[in-house]
Amino acid sequence: MIFGQIRMIITVLLLAGIGGAGIYVMKLRSDNAILKANQLKLEQSVESQKKLIEQQKKDFDDILKANKQLNVLVEGLKKDFNDLDQRFNKGGRDLGKVAIERTGAIERIVNKATEKAARCIELASGAPHTEEELKATKKSEINTECPSIANPNFVPYE
Amino acid sequence: MNKIITLIAILFLTGCSIGGEKKIKIFSMEEPRAKLNLAAPTPVEMEKIRWIIITSANSQEVFAKLEAEGIDPVLFGLTDKDYEIIAKNFAQIRSKLKESTEILNKYKEYYEADQQQPKNEEKK
Repeated sequence: MIFGQIRMIITVLLLAGIGGAGIYVMKLRSDNAILKANQLKLEQSVESQKKLIEQQKKDFDDILKANKQLNVLVEGLKKDFNDLDQRFNKGGRDLGKVAIERTGAIERIVNKATEKAARCIELASGAPHTEEELKATKKSEINTECPSIANPNFVPYE
Repeated sequence: MNKIITLIAILFLTGCSIGGEKKIKIFSMEEPRAKLNLAAPTPVEMEKIRWIIITSANSQEVFAKLEAEGIDPVLFGLTDKDYEIIAKNFAQIRSKLKESTEILNKYKEYYEADQQQPKNEEKK
């Protein structure tokens, strides 16, 4: 009788053990699947973070480049303005006196300069450059009123 | 026979519900903001102007020439100093114009770099 009960208990325990082991294995498999999914998500996340960092780096470089280009432009425009200012008073020159002495010549110079200045405004407002303007690299070829706007390939020299 | 008719009637009445109701899925998609895409302003076209320099010595000759050309013998004058100022003022205006145009272009390049920009064709 007692042996029968013991056998029954052992059988129940054995069945419970097998059942428990089965459930445990199923849990492990489920955990494994979750971990795999998590790893995949983490890998994707790392990848997207890498892309984000690369994009941020590119944006930062673009901002630096744009700022640098704008600074170069502003410096060029300042130089153009200073050159104009100096042209009027170069070597203590008095434009009025020169105009009295050489009226015709100064009139031609002033009209030519006005034409060039008008072209500068057209370019500044977004007009496309002509081939001549783009090719100009010598002082004799440039628009002396605004070389920084009109002649992007001109490098000032003495 | 009655059973068959009943079965067919049941099938007609319940046929559409076989497979169960489809669940409505609500999801949100991020729609990027529409691009502003304003057309670039048309470049200005400057008209040609002519400066005439008048001195006490050539004033008679200048007015006579104007009359001969059929132009009213009247001139709006500037002194040499005022001429210098107007030239410098225009230089400042074009600098600011160029700066603003460039800043606008840079913004466009930065925020709309993924879009193809129609480039201005260079004048021949």
